[in-house]
Amino acid sequence: MKIDSRKKIRHVSGENIVLMPAAGTADMTQVVALNESALELYNMLKEREFTFDDVVKAMLDTYEVDEATARADAEKWVGQMREQRLIID
Amino acid sequence: MATGVTLTIGGLALTVSGGDSVAKALALPGMGAFRGETNGNDVHLRLDERVELPECRWLHRFDIVEETAECRFGVDASGIYYYTFGDSGLLRFDPRTPGTVSLNTIDDPNILRFALWTAYSMTSLWRDAVPVHSSVVVCRGRAVMCLGESGTGKSTHTSLWLKYIDGCHLLNDDSPILCVEDDGVFVYGSPWSGKTPCYRQERVPVAALLRLEQRPENSIRRLGTIESFTALHPSCPPALAHDELCTDRMVDFIGGVISHVPVYRLGCLPDEGAARLAFNTLMA
Repeated sequence: MKIDSRKKIRHVSGENIVLMPAAGTADMTQVVALNESALELYNMLKEREFTFDDVVKAMLDTYEVDEATARADAEKWVGQMREQRLIID
Repeated sequence: MATGVTLTIGGLALTVSGGDSVAKALALPGMGAFRGETNGNDVHLRLDERVELPECRWLHRFDIVEETAECRFGVDASGIYYYTFGDSGLLRFDPRTPGTVSLNTIDDPNILRFALWTAYSMTSLWRDAVPVHSSVVVCRGRAVMCLGESGTGKSTHTSLWLKYIDGCHLLNDDSPILCVEDDGVFVYGSPWSGKTPCYRQERVPVAALLRLEQRPENSIRRLGTIESFTALHPSCPPALAHDELCTDRMVDFIGGVISHVPVYRLGCLPDEGAARLAFNTLMA
């Protein structure tokens, strides 16, 4: 999998957001907000192909967590990023 | 022989030059109120130019609803933006020289009016000024900008302020100019006010933005950063959201606005209570 480089992270008043293309609807803006840890993972993994284990390793390298917690958090992050199509296959 | 006049809109001095189109532009509703000199000429609108349309990547297509004219917004290989209006109208804007916009000759006055708005919206984005789809009421020297989808009741809501709250007047009913300036966020009247002939050469500090939604009862809530962003963004010129560079500028602009001005969501009925609730919350 990889991060969709066409979707750009933008910074507004301390928030990290991605504008989602309005799906044919006028007068609607949808954004996805990334918190600091989600953004950190995003920055570590962008611009390359990566596997689920790479995400777990990035978590373990960055945070003082055990492997089970890292796996659970990695699963959650990948799931949410996929749901918003910020990660593509 | 080219002739030129100066209009001052949204704090920008626009020199409008060209042939016969200059007089046609000035004869459009509301334009006359914005004639006047300021210090320096910030922006140059060149009418009756020979604009050639190169190969473009089209980013957005839309209709000017009441004119049934199809319009397109695109960019060529060198990064120059083009709009087409109906069968023959053309606009050219090079972001490397953002103080100049060129238009060809556009005969239909309604399309010319829209093309001038479009030209303004392109160049002004590079000066931290954006036309915002809204109805704006000025109350005791401060402005409340009502945002919302078409048909939400923006004009209805501002008319309720005029009716029930003392010391109010309408600034603009469709497309005022919102500006981030050194000393704060200001809104200006403009020659584009929808169906309401309200063309005021006036600069007012913004008290709040108010995103309206029709609801069975009145309620008001201040929005956080992300919701404030999504409240204002769809009211900015929509074509520009389809381009990366324009979006960068727009995001910076909106960030500047919402870090200085509170944004609220008003769920409302079209009644006196809605105006009083908003007034008591925003102006107290």
